[in-house]
Amino acid sequence: MKLAGNDMLIQSLINEGVEYIFGYPGGAALHIYDSIFKQSEMQHILVRHEQGATHAADGYARATGKPGVVMVTSGPGATNAITGIATAFMDSIPMVVISGQVQSHLIGTDAFQETDMIGISRPIVKHSFTVDHQSNIPQIVKEAFHIATSGRQGPVVIDIPKDLTNPDDLFDYEYPEEVNIRSYNPPVKPEATQIERVVDAIFNSKKPVIYAGGGTISSNASKELIELNSYINVPVTNTLMGLGVYPATDDKFLGMLGMHGTYQANMAMHNADLILAIGARFDDRITNTPEKFAPRAQIVHFDVDHSSVSKIIEADIAVFGQVKDSLQAINELIKDRLSELDTTKFDQWHAQISKWKSEHGLNHNLYKDNSDENPILPQAAVQHIYQESKGKAFVTSDVGQHQMFAAQYYHFDEPRKWINSGGLGTMGFGLPSAMGVKLAYPDEEVICITGEGSIQMCIQELSTCSQYKLPIKIFNINNLALGMVKQWQDMNYDGRHSSISYEDSLPDFKELVESYGHVGIKITKNSDLKKGIEEAFSIKDKLVFVDIYVDPNEHVYPMLVAPNGSLKDMWLAKGSKT
Amino acid sequence: MIERQLTLIMENKPGALARVVGLFHQRGYNIDSLHVDPIEDFSPYKFIEDELDVKFSIGEVSRLVIKTTVADSLMRQILRQINKLIEVIAVSDEDSTYLKGILRDENLL
Repeated sequence: MKLAGNDMLIQSLINEGVEYIFGYPGGAALHIYDSIFKQSEMQHILVRHEQGATHAADGYARATGKPGVVMVTSGPGATNAITGIATAFMDSIPMVVISGQVQSHLIGTDAFQETDMIGISRPIVKHSFTVDHQSNIPQIVKEAFHIATSGRQGPVVIDIPKDLTNPDDLFDYEYPEEVNIRSYNPPVKPEATQIERVVDAIFNSKKPVIYAGGGTISSNASKELIELNSYINVPVTNTLMGLGVYPATDDKFLGMLGMHGTYQANMAMHNADLILAIGARFDDRITNTPEKFAPRAQIVHFDVDHSSVSKIIEADIAVFGQVKDSLQAINELIKDRLSELDTTKFDQWHAQISKWKSEHGLNHNLYKDNSDENPILPQAAVQHIYQESKGKAFVTSDVGQHQMFAAQYYHFDEPRKWINSGGLGTMGFGLPSAMGVKLAYPDEEVICITGEGSIQMCIQELSTCSQYKLPIKIFNINNLALGMVKQWQDMNYDGRHSSISYEDSLPDFKELVESYGHVGIKITKNSDLKKGIEEAFSIKDKLVFVDIYVDPNEHVYPMLVAPNGSLKDMWLAKGSKT
Repeated sequence: MIERQLTLIMENKPGALARVVGLFHQRGYNIDSLHVDPIEDFSPYKFIEDELDVKFSIGEVSRLVIKTTVADSLMRQILRQINKLIEVIAVSDEDSTYLKGILRDENLL
């Protein structure tokens, strides 16, 4: 079969099984968009800004495990995609971004809408390709998808000059069935000796903790993790990226750890004698001061990426490979040796953790304080959302206080349900990522918990939701200020609130969303909270935006004491620390 | 901190060198000197060909030598970060070699 470059590119995506392309056309991508027009196997979703395209593709990828696909034009189209690529890179999300480029003979001449996309994106991609000839397009697309979805996953950019998509130049097309990149060989199988050492370490420990992160989700290893803990029955904490990989309603679950983690999770980590780090990378929001991190713990680190192990915290036992394979191997061995394990030796440890939980665990009665004399607590809003959605929804979020409240009070029992920008902390992520999730799962409830600061960073996508009829539920936890910045200013800058207020410039969100054809609900007092959220969930066929005015002075607690603190050093409430 | 020498064998492709140099900047390591040329005599690298079951041809692969001054503790991290670059086939410091994901406890390059 002979095809032109533009058709080759689109046919390659079809061969990869792509369902949705999130993108925005422009000069350098015109030939490609003509090919998109001529086919019907994939749907192109026209966003309102390229950042929205990348986040939507990212949300699709996080929810489904399949790579998200983005199409942008050269110059500003490409640079607008950068924040979303960096977001995916930091959280190891598989994504393929195709950027149009000016014609080959114009490269380097400062041509109209020319920018060095490969150069600009280099530090935030797993890999990138420049198409140098049409006949290489199928191979490049195949390699791009292989790299994006294998090993430690991540975004891959393909930059393609316009002349190489010219519809008049035909070349042989055959999509490769296999790919073999001689210089790329991600580790697959864990070493048996390491697996034995891990099982010995578990059997010899008295105070073990499982600390599981986003890599466990990427590797689809939730089932294996739950199986492991059905044998050893030890406390489990999840990172912000790992929430859902272990059921939050299980009695061995400690909640999230780290900066705004629960008291019992952070105390368990600090006092543990064995930490099983599974697909987690000891991020600075987890360790606090690395030198003071878990002083008595032996560290076992499961990771697919060599460079993540012993980067921040030295591992005593390292297990390289896909977490799923490693956990399967551990489970096999533990099953054989189960008679050696007396789990009652952990009883004292469990009792200690229960004590911590009862002393300073999260207060789950906040939603009961419903007098109208008090402002709505943001935590109570999240609790109502959790109850009304029966804990089953996909929840995307933006970045800030609302994100932490959602992580603390929405209890995820399944992986891939909690979709947030953990590594980069990208405001504006919530709404577009929810679009990607909703397209992937049109029959599931998809919620975006956001704030009035974050939502305005990609609010243009309300229009996209209208065009493609995406009935997402958006809950705007509105505290009239950039709440997390304000909290830091309260705590560290004597309450000097520098540039965190919009004064009286906020739009009336209800009217704003109604102008797009959506439904707006405004909640300002406690007595309307439950009713308003119930009403939102009763509307099935339209996007509902619920603007919830909450206490503008609420802080997120617990909060690690920094700098120089350890994991046991936490603020538990205003003016009160451990 | 002492000066260390790293040797890389990598695909001779446009942008490959920029990825290595960019990585040093991005991760906050300094480059003291850098030398790169395409490999014409493959006899010292036959073990790579055997290991990866490939046959290199002239002009396909480059050798890159970088000198850098870093703390000992960072050296392993640099090696691992370089090893992650898709176009790098092998990387060595004085003590060890990464040959596409597999660590050897000796300098093979």
